[in-house]
Amino acid sequence: MLATITTKTIADRWRAVVIGAFTVALFLVGGMAAYKSVDLSLYTSLPEGFRELFGISDSADAAGLAYGAIYGFYGALILAGLAVSMGSATIAGEERDGTIGVLLGNPKSRTHVLVSKAISTVALTALAALVLWAGALIAPVLLDVDVTGRLVGAQAFHIFANALFYGFLALAIGAWTGKPSLASGISAGVMALSFFAVGLLPLVDSLAEVARIFPWYYLDNGEPLVNGIQWGGIAILLGGSSIFAGIAYVGVNGRDLRLRSVGGSILDRLREDPRIGAVLERLSSSAGVARIWTKTAADHQALAAISAFAMFSMMGVMMGPMYAAVDEQLATFGQDLPEALMALVGSADISTAEGWYQVETFSLMAPILVMAVTITIGAKALAGEEAQRTMGLLLGNPVRRSSIVLQKTLAAGLLGIVVGIATFLGVVAGSLIAGLGMSIANIAATSALSVLIGFVFGGLALLLGAITGRVRAAVVGSVGLAFGLYLLNSLAALSDSLEGLAAWSPYHYYLTSEPLTNGMPWGDAAVLVIITAVLVIGSVFAFDRRDIRSTS
Amino acid sequence: MNAAIETHGLTKHYGDFPALKNLDLEVKPGEVFGFLGPNGAGKTTMIRTILDEIRPTAGRATILGLDSHKDSVEIRKHIGYLPGDLAMYPRLTGRDTLTYFANLRGGVDWSYVDQLAERLDADLSKKVGDLSTGNRQKVGLIQAFMNRPQLLIMDEPSTGLDPLVQREFQAMMREVAADGRTVFLSSHTLSEVQRISDRVGIIRHGDLVAVEAVQALRSKAMRRVEFEFGSHVDASLFDNVPGVRDVSANDHRIALSYDGKMDTLLTTVAGRYEVVDISTEEADLEEIFLTYYRDEVTA
Repeated sequence: MLATITTKTIADRWRAVVIGAFTVALFLVGGMAAYKSVDLSLYTSLPEGFRELFGISDSADAAGLAYGAIYGFYGALILAGLAVSMGSATIAGEERDGTIGVLLGNPKSRTHVLVSKAISTVALTALAALVLWAGALIAPVLLDVDVTGRLVGAQAFHIFANALFYGFLALAIGAWTGKPSLASGISAGVMALSFFAVGLLPLVDSLAEVARIFPWYYLDNGEPLVNGIQWGGIAILLGGSSIFAGIAYVGVNGRDLRLRSVGGSILDRLREDPRIGAVLERLSSSAGVARIWTKTAADHQALAAISAFAMFSMMGVMMGPMYAAVDEQLATFGQDLPEALMALVGSADISTAEGWYQVETFSLMAPILVMAVTITIGAKALAGEEAQRTMGLLLGNPVRRSSIVLQKTLAAGLLGIVVGIATFLGVVAGSLIAGLGMSIANIAATSALSVLIGFVFGGLALLLGAITGRVRAAVVGSVGLAFGLYLLNSLAALSDSLEGLAAWSPYHYYLTSEPLTNGMPWGDAAVLVIITAVLVIGSVFAFDRRDIRSTS
Repeated sequence: MNAAIETHGLTKHYGDFPALKNLDLEVKPGEVFGFLGPNGAGKTTMIRTILDEIRPTAGRATILGLDSHKDSVEIRKHIGYLPGDLAMYPRLTGRDTLTYFANLRGGVDWSYVDQLAERLDADLSKKVGDLSTGNRQKVGLIQAFMNRPQLLIMDEPSTGLDPLVQREFQAMMREVAADGRTVFLSSHTLSEVQRISDRVGIIRHGDLVAVEAVQALRSKAMRRVEFEFGSHVDASLFDNVPGVRDVSANDHRIALSYDGKMDTLLTTVAGRYEVVDISTEEADLEEIFLTYYRDEVTA
């Protein structure tokens, strides 16, 4: 497998890709089983606009709902995420790791490296799509579900083309800048913006057509699952990818390669100004290295700031006026909404302001953005220092291992709370601006719960890092469980026979009581706090008892 | 007075692989102790074990009279440590890095830090990630020295340093010893260890094969010597010179291994043959092991 750059890249990454796609396929089976066990007659009475938002085809049945919700939503996001991580690592990743010099010390041109890695990205994304396709064919056979007229191959192909678009966007940015985190950050941002625009714009009639300018639109435009491959959309997605490849080609050949560089943040550029520098030095630098927890917090302040800003503005303030714009339409079919469908996006009556905020802001985005902070810090807290080989140096100082674990936990907790406060302020502002009259205490309670659910999975990442010393194991394990337990809670709500399982998912203690309407569920909050405490204490013990890794 | 480092039957296995075998060692206060061994011999494993980064499979160690595991935090108040293959936080400047570790220690004497930086010609204003290997190493050295530790433990500290800085660094180590403090220096470079150490421990395949005073080791200082003559000279010329081994001749050149006084060797050739050039270099460590410690190694 080390014969060429392409095969080596495939050898390095195929496991992650197959595991990601296979997990989605497994959830398809779970979703289909859940949908099969509920009465679906209600779905056919749903208004068309609503069905579009959640990717439900005209003739809703178990297969259509499962393919639409699991593949059209989670599958597309996960494959695009995998493609972005591969695309951003292409050239920029080798620069970050300091391996580009050795690689180009061989008689291979930059273009050769770029093309080889681009080919491996295409091949691996295709492999992931094939796994999805195979899952889509096997699931109905296992469950004896009728899938007549479902063109799952066409859907998988659209998911592939969609993922490739974002992967190659990341490739182009990485090729120009040499910064993998910038490449994946911008690409993921474009992807998230595009995803929300395509989901939300059609709710407002006058803006429906604007959705066409967002690439995510072409994932499902024309319903490939029913009508087959939509070549117009495919041409746009693959054409865009080709343009990005061309841009990457020009970029990578035209610039100086970076030496395992650390780059410069905006903060660094400001520091160069002597007056601002003196102030910043006082504010950030000296405070940033005062203690282990302050350094950890300083290291991750950018991530926390971005997450907090997104929660405050997009998910908080903007959702209020948006609700005011569409509340009449929502009200007309408020009574018709089947509980079963809403379970998947957080059961709530979205014709009310509280229900709207619960579904749009709190069910997914709030926990995701808190977890982005807590899982990142949790996974890197111990395993990250080991991977960077700085743990030995840190432990050369008179600090207890338990103190390292607890101080890093403190940093993750504080930054998670910052995101929670931003969510709270944003939702309060959104409610006030749109005159929705929501209870401020209940918003505070729900924001607090979103922080607590983030703590649970951050604690899990910390524990996995403490046990294994490997960042990757910590991230994959905690994100995988966060995703799996979310679906468990959602699917359990769909079927009486599965209902008992919901209590095993931490999400059951998050929104089930509808805290935006009913206030703080103290018992549920206590459950989340206790789980987090157990995970942190477990981390202290695990880390105290094992050998520190000296290589990554 | 307590030994600076004392190990009893210290053993570390990685799975089935014995990285450290039943190591008994005593490092005395006030000495520079060289810990010498080829790559992969177990030097780093020994250091990481006594620092409680990893836990011994059997045996125990004390540092400054304190138990290496139970009292590890107390121990680390009194030591300075430079890990091998040093990695630091790339986004921090040298000064921020030192501030961080100084804070973890509860403060250091900054005038001493500046003095160290000046001696090593270290630039503390740049980000560590933008420094060359040698300049990064200087920051690591300063953090090891800055709290005036009772015991300095350094794993391959000269990596990347240029000869001038190496000399300054060696002087700094001697000063620590002159001050009654202890230096434990792991290295695979014989010459460096010889130059500054009082005693040397030699480790190979996880076994401590010898602990010798540097004087004794120096007497075993085998060299490779190569003569270039003006005309052909027969290799048998050196047959009866004591200390000469492995003689090989090639045209006008003769190469040999030698331990003994250089004077003896020179009198053998001087005045009798036209010597165009002489080059000598230190025999590598592996050669010395094979020549002098074969018995201990195979035992």
